[in-house]
Amino acid sequence: MSWRADLLAVWAVVVRNALMASRNVFFFFELLFWPIVGVVSIGLMTKFLGITPAQASFVLIGTIALSVVNVCQLEVAYAVLMDVWSKSIKHQFLAPIGIRHLTVGSWVVGMVRGSLLFTLLAVLAWWAFDFRVLAAGGGAVGLFLFGCFLNAWIVGVFVCALITLFGNRAEAFAWASVNLVLVLAGIYYPVSVLPEPAATLARAIPLTYFLDAYRSHFGFASEFAAPIATGLALSVVYAVVAHLAFYASVQRARRTGLLLKMSE
Amino acid sequence: MPSPASALAIDAREVAKTFRSGWLRPRETAALRGATLAVPRGAIVGLLGPNGAGKTTFLSILATLLIPDRGTVRVLGLDVVRDSMALRRRLNMASGRPSFLWSLRVAEIVAFYGRLYGLSGAALRARVDALIEQYELTPYRRVPYSELSTGLKQRVALAKSLVNDPELLFLDEPTLGLDPDVSMRVRAHIAALRRERGVTILLTTHYMREAEELCDEVAFIKAGRILDAGTPDELKRRIGLGDVIALRLEPAAPAWLAEAPGVLRCASADGWTKCTVDDAEKRLPDLLRQLFAEGVTVRNVRVREPELEEVFVELAR
Ligand SMILES: Nc1ncnc2c1ncn2[C@@H]1O[C@H](COP(=O)(O)OP(=O)(O)O)[C@@H](O)[C@H]1O
Ligand SMILES: [Mg+2]
Repeated sequence: MSWRADLLAVWAVVVRNALMASRNVFFFFELLFWPIVGVVSIGLMTKFLGITPAQASFVLIGTIALSVVNVCQLEVAYAVLMDVWSKSIKHQFLAPIGIRHLTVGSWVVGMVRGSLLFTLLAVLAWWAFDFRVLAAGGGAVGLFLFGCFLNAWIVGVFVCALITLFGNRAEAFAWASVNLVLVLAGIYYPVSVLPEPAATLARAIPLTYFLDAYRSHFGFASEFAAPIATGLALSVVYAVVAHLAFYASVQRARRTGLLLKMSE
Repeated sequence: MPSPASALAIDAREVAKTFRSGWLRPRETAALRGATLAVPRGAIVGLLGPNGAGKTTFLSILATLLIPDRGTVRVLGLDVVRDSMALRRRLNMASGRPSFLWSLRVAEIVAFYGRLYGLSGAALRARVDALIEQYELTPYRRVPYSELSTGLKQRVALAKSLVNDPELLFLDEPTLGLDPDVSMRVRAHIAALRRERGVTILLTTHYMREAEELCDEVAFIKAGRILDAGTPDELKRRIGLGDVIALRLEPAAPAWLAEAPGVLRCASADGWTKCTVDDAEKRLPDLLRQLFAEGVTVRNVRVREPELEEVFVELAR
């Protein structure tokens, strides 16, 4: 496939996901309602508990990251989920494209939505709780967001793999996965407070490192030696594994007939 | 490098597929049990069979959506498993029970798939416009898919299936659930596709009339096997159903009639003598000449060809 055809296939998915996103009320709730509720309630809780501003920024960073990862990851999962819902999935696998076009195209839309959401939550956190995300500097924010998006891609692709492996029943994973991230990646607490073996699991999640790196700009000593490098390296490994899992799952669905069953 | 097989758009041999479903209590369904079919390039071939015969399964294997358990399948000279990517560019498929993303509009659906097949810019717009025009979807181009009627959805599916200008088109029950007048229009579109673009078409149906009207050749499938294939006439002849020549004779039918060349059997009832012959056009003149020579008066003659349906009943026995 030429790079031009590659780009076109990705662009096709970008346009499709963007059109679908712009026409669905649920997407509005995903993008705005729940994340705002999340940041407002967490922010108010920090006031009620009377914790230090540093601690407050710690949990606010966590809840913003969680929202961004979730929105972006859902969008990646929509690469197959929307077609499963509308029973049209066979058409994309009839076309001469690869799964990378589906996941990357959805990811691009996910990153746009994630960036919009991040901006919105940043303004909200600044206005309501005097928390400035940019205090860490543009570069740190960029790396942090990119880390969130990488994690979202990985989780989203794994969800795609599960859906093509188990069928519609697996769509719950799309919404459940964020809770796993919540517990393990240290959204509301440093992973050092986790008991074993959860702590080891947490150290295996790339998002943990991106959070750690970003929070180090807000007065929390880093728990890891080279968090960004570690996070990126881990992300690459997981991205490859997730892609292969999705690929294997689609091949299996072509063998078992699940691809057809999900289209009727 | 042209091979002898390149005259065939589809060359499928001994194709088998068994579905295994259920995790706790696995069930097996043998959907195809050694199906063999050859489709010449440029032909419209109908795959006829009852529900559950394996029609959709067979089409899906040919279209690279499903990997067969056994058998060799070459489509447009390519192997459906090894060369699937190259093949996908050159074929497409539409089903009579189509489904697309509910809130995309007609033009957006066609454009989305157009991009997946590598179209962009002016070429994409031109193709989308042409297809929308051709399938009389112009008034609906901005209507969301979920708001279309069944007939319109089918037309969107047909338009989408032509977006890559395929050499080979699979149509799975293209007129399913359509009103007679709408399905007639769909059949006209299908016939035009081959006439105007030379597309090879393999369609499934369980309407005999549809197959007879549209197809150069038909293949009967039942319980995962192709029972027989050929032109409708060939099949009728091969099975020995023959044409029926009904005669009103005065006096009664002479004894030699049943033994005359080409006559398979004769029976008399209600003043009509019904002779089943291999080919009415070939035998009728001789029969009439002989009857005339013997002074038998032929008051009335009716000739009836057997219906494809009867062929199927005979084959399925
Ligand atoms: N994806 C699938 N998973 C499990 N069983 C299937 C699947 N598709 C078809 N079958 C079964 O295989 C048999 C043939 O089905 P199908 O090819 O759809 O028949 P037709 O199209 O002729 O009606 C049926 O018994 C059907 O239940
Ligand atoms: Mg079918």
